Amino acid sequence: MGRDVKVLQTLPDARQLMLKGFRTAMKRPDVSAGLPDRSVMVMDHRQDFARAAEYARACGFTVRDDVPATWLHVQTFPLQMWLMGQPDFPFSLAGLVHVSNDMTLHRPVRADERLRLTVVAENVQPHKRGVTFDLQGTVHVGEELVWEGTSNYLSTKAKLPGQAPEAERLEMPSGEQSQLWRLPADLGRQYAKVSGDWNPIHLHPLTARIFGFPRPIIHGMWTHARALAAFGGSLPERYRVQVQFTKPILLPGKVGFVVDGEKFAVVDKEGKPKLVGRLAG
Amino acid sequence: MTHTAVVVGGNRTPFAKAGTKFADASAQDLLTAAIDGLVARFGLAGAKVDEVVAGAVLKHTRDFNLTREAVLGSALSPNSPACDLQQACATGLEAVIYTSNKIRLGQAKVAIAGGTDSASDAPVVVTEGLRRAMLKANRARSLPERLKAFAAVRPADLMPVPPAVVEPRTGLSMGESQALTTKRWEISREDQDQLSYDSHQNLARAWDEGFFDDLVTGYRGVARDTVLRPDTTLEKLASLKTVFGREGATMTAGNSTALTDGAAVVLVAEESVARERNWPVLAKVVDAQVAATDYVTGNEDLLLAPARAIPELLERNQLTLDDFELFEFHEAFASTVLATLKALEQNGTGTVDRSKLNVDGSSLAAGHPFAATGGRIVASLAKRLGQRGPGKKGLISICAAGGQGAVMILEAM
Repeated sequence: MGRDVKVLQTLPDARQLMLKGFRTAMKRPDVSAGLPDRSVMVMDHRQDFARAAEYARACGFTVRDDVPATWLHVQTFPLQMWLMGQPDFPFSLAGLVHVSNDMTLHRPVRADERLRLTVVAENVQPHKRGVTFDLQGTVHVGEELVWEGTSNYLSTKAKLPGQAPEAERLEMPSGEQSQLWRLPADLGRQYAKVSGDWNPIHLHPLTARIFGFPRPIIHGMWTHARALAAFGGSLPERYRVQVQFTKPILLPGKVGFVVDGEKFAVVDKEGKPKLVGRLAG
Repeated sequence: MTHTAVVVGGNRTPFAKAGTKFADASAQDLLTAAIDGLVARFGLAGAKVDEVVAGAVLKHTRDFNLTREAVLGSALSPNSPACDLQQACATGLEAVIYTSNKIRLGQAKVAIAGGTDSASDAPVVVTEGLRRAMLKANRARSLPERLKAFAAVRPADLMPVPPAVVEPRTGLSMGESQALTTKRWEISREDQDQLSYDSHQNLARAWDEGFFDDLVTGYRGVARDTVLRPDTTLEKLASLKTVFGREGATMTAGNSTALTDGAAVVLVAEESVARERNWPVLAKVVDAQVAATDYVTGNEDLLLAPARAIPELLERNQLTLDDFELFEFHEAFASTVLATLKALEQNGTGTVDRSKLNVDGSSLAAGHPFAATGGRIVASLAKRLGQRGPGKKGLISICAAGGQGAVMILEAM
């Protein structure tokens, strides 16, 4: 049987999908059956110009005509939510951990370009704390592949037999913290507005507590974007950027930024990593 | 050894009416966009320039290092130093004066000069009462002291103070001041509307013939200046209501500049460096002059300082108005230009040939993001003079708040 290709007319509302995912305790099929062979796409997506500017502002980028690679990830995010919200998807939304991200910007993409967005779920693997899988996104302009990205998620509620494959660990940069970021208490709500990721763990102390966090935590994808913005004008025109989210960042809070050649990290005041990354032009 | 400062090119964003297409962009975003467009045009990615000088009239406190921040966000080398400079609407022209003087002194070889303004993203400040209370509370050592600091705050102090272009000493907006000038110099509604009409016609023609293709880089989906009305007519302009002045008012939204967002920069270089790099040597910066008027109690006019600066500049360079191929007089208001021309006649400087004035349009049609206007004018005039041939001279005149004015002579190489 071939892959089920689902074409949506417009991007679904990630907030609705997420609320539904958190409210309804859907009975999910067992992961041993694998992932449904399905991709979801939107053929002709028009980027929200004003939202792109607000996103840039929230993450520390200059407002330019060319968008950051992480913004293109944000464009594919509702499709990720849609895919995970299908009844035959084996993992429930609540309790998923975003482990790592790997994206490549093949050429500068302008905020006024029409995009074809595709997301597919693949690569289920046993993990020492559960099961991991990838959501693979691509962005095309016409027939040209302009961006691709892989988000690796961990479900701690599922189990698979077998040995967990050795995961590649990004190396920590050496050197001193060259930047100090002050993250305000409402940063999660600010980022939710521009990204559409309204996961309750990011929004308010009360909603965060339900999921076991003493305070809201900032979105990993904000930290990722902020780290790219930290490169300022020296960010190359095309690049591959990989990040691993190692520890949540509680709000409000202060974190440091360390960069050493291609290697970078967001660290706490003891220098312990919250995010480790690599940027290659 | 003598050094010659030459204009090799320029780049600006299109200018957009405030509160519209660029409303989401800050002055810093706009300046970064203008610099990056220039960098792309002249292959300066990763290159160090000796200095970047620019400014903004509407400035947030966070913009204390606006130009340097824009450089760090741009594709220029982070080793390019920058300096903020401000002289109201003459900011952009002053930036060109500053950089060309450094080049002439041998302190710089390649520099970028310009300006940026966002009337959409203007700072809104708190009242003086609240500001003082907050500073006091910040110094307070205990909670009671802190509370006491706020006890002095009145309800009215809690209202934000919207931005306004008002002269601090006269309390008059620029339009109201100019209305006094318009009346004093007896500038007619018809003359103002005609000047405005010509500005739109000339700018539209310049756009249509592709004159701005290597002077402007599109930004946020805007390719052309959005204030421009190529299809406006004298009848339409005549039908507009007056907005400044009392009885006998003649100034309308059609013959006054609109609030605008945009940024413009100019690449200035030492002549031999420009030639080594095969950059087009459009025009050299010959000389410049600033002047100010005694406007506070009405002895002189707020926006007519160029009529003082021009004779000084001409005398020093032993030139007359007849020696110029082109004139670029910034159109703060149509009546500002017309009153300046009358003042130059009255003070014996001479007559400006109207057929040589603002031949590619000016601020009435292009819009006027305050600090960006100087960069727009210098780049456009340098290019036009370059086309007219070596030795052709142009005179730039820009009036500014505070009764100030800056003027400059460019000469094609």
